[in-house]
Amino acid sequence: MKNFIFFSTLLFILFTGCIEDDFIEDFVEPEISITNAIDTLGLDTEYQFDTRFLNNIGQQESVEVVWESSDPTVISITQSGLATAHSAGTVIISVNTVDLSISDAIEVTVGEETVEVEEPASITGSIVTTTFYDLEGTFTLSETDTGLFLDIADDYVTTSALPGFYVYLSNNRNSISGAFEIGEVTVFRGAHSYEIDGVSLNDYNFIVYYCKPFNVKVGEAVLN
Amino acid sequence: MKHKLILSIALALVLQGSLQAGGPWAKGKGKTYIKLSEWWTVFDAHYNDIGLLDPNVTTGIYNTSLYAEIGLSNKFTATFNGALFSRNFMNNIRSGTTNDILIQGEALNSLGDIDIGLKYTFNQEARIPVALSVVLGLPTGIAGGGTQGNLQTGDGEFNQIVQLDFGSGFKVGNSDAYFAGYVGINNRTQGFSEEFRYGLEYGVGLANSKLWLTGKLTAVESFKNGDTGSSVTSTSIFANNSEFLALGLEANYYVTKTVGISAGFASAVRGEIIAAAPSYSVGVFLDIK
Repeated sequence: MKNFIFFSTLLFILFTGCIEDDFIEDFVEPEISITNAIDTLGLDTEYQFDTRFLNNIGQQESVEVVWESSDPTVISITQSGLATAHSAGTVIISVNTVDLSISDAIEVTVGEETVEVEEPASITGSIVTTTFYDLEGTFTLSETDTGLFLDIADDYVTTSALPGFYVYLSNNRNSISGAFEIGEVTVFRGAHSYEIDGVSLNDYNFIVYYCKPFNVKVGEAVLN
Repeated sequence: MKHKLILSIALALVLQGSLQAGGPWAKGKGKTYIKLSEWWTVFDAHYNDIGLLDPNVTTGIYNTSLYAEIGLSNKFTATFNGALFSRNFMNNIRSGTTNDILIQGEALNSLGDIDIGLKYTFNQEARIPVALSVVLGLPTGIAGGGTQGNLQTGDGEFNQIVQLDFGSGFKVGNSDAYFAGYVGINNRTQGFSEEFRYGLEYGVGLANSKLWLTGKLTAVESFKNGDTGSSVTSTSIFANNSEFLALGLEANYYVTKTVGISAGFASAVRGEIIAAAPSYSVGVFLDIK
């Protein structure tokens, strides 16, 4: 009996599982973009440019930037991104990050009135599985006066076996950290829609399907 | 609907329970067998709903279990199989770029589920004894722990198992040997699929039967009649409709006439909604004959 108690105690002490780390490859190339580009700036008018910087894991971050005009006599620009048109001509307006030498640039012409670049009102694409679970279909992400809508087409099919199965908008295809949770997957075949509040069409680069309990990505769609 | 089973516990409870099967033989009045064991598996992949391998966050389950057979008479044997301490954990998810923790790992520690059963042996002295068992699986563990409800030390449902055991003892050379098998039906509550269970076991005693080596085949075939995500608007239906075929090896060594140690290994070779990793066990037993 003493042996039995000794070995029993030893068992309990020796075998206890510890929480360790799983690493995910979540590096993305940092990017900066001018989010409100214009084609034409009205003579003697001003325009405030805005930017968005995504860091090396795809999360939005504030960074110090440097604004430049290729010809300040045509359009000058302050370091806060305020542009002023002085004379006829065409220039390149660029924005650079101070630390990372990442840039974006647009061509702007001085004209009679300011004209914004017309962005498409919708994005279409395909959802694909990144596992052996069924997940496929086509979609349209569209922005209307009433909001942003993700419309999944009739060719969509996925598994009903997964628990905690959610769909996200993310700027990192391998992570939902900092992503926008659209909602739980409750339709497993056929057309359906999600209404998305507080998000604009070009805010995110990927749709990510994710199983929360297993912390694993199941599928994705590219938005650009 | 409450949170339901995830795959880790399915393997933990079903496979562990199956490996403790005692064959058709009655223990005998006044005789007792008690085994305290540690059973564990750690896995970062699982068999999905079509039997293919997919990844998951590294998950571990450790059960400190007590198994007992108590001879009530020369035909009736009472059985107990319970996880006295069960620990289920999931690893942190850490960024490979920034090293930051993106999703915090979690653990759940508690009493696990408990099976109690009664076995009736029809013909102990026959060449192939046959026994009928009724086992009740009590949901004494926690079925939905952690922030996502995905940690569990029990399945949260009440199992009712009816099982037919058979077997035979014989000689291989000078060594004692046996084979045993079982078939059973598991009726489950809470929207879980019913199951057909079967298993085969072959054991041989070496060193004057001080060392017993046993090979085991264990299988669960789901009736596929449980709830799924499409039939229940819940976030946590899993390991429902799961099934597997597992192979295992176990060694039991009698240190004295009544006390022994054991070590085992098992792994699913086919499965659906089940962990895809080996499980291990070590234990000590007391065999009062």
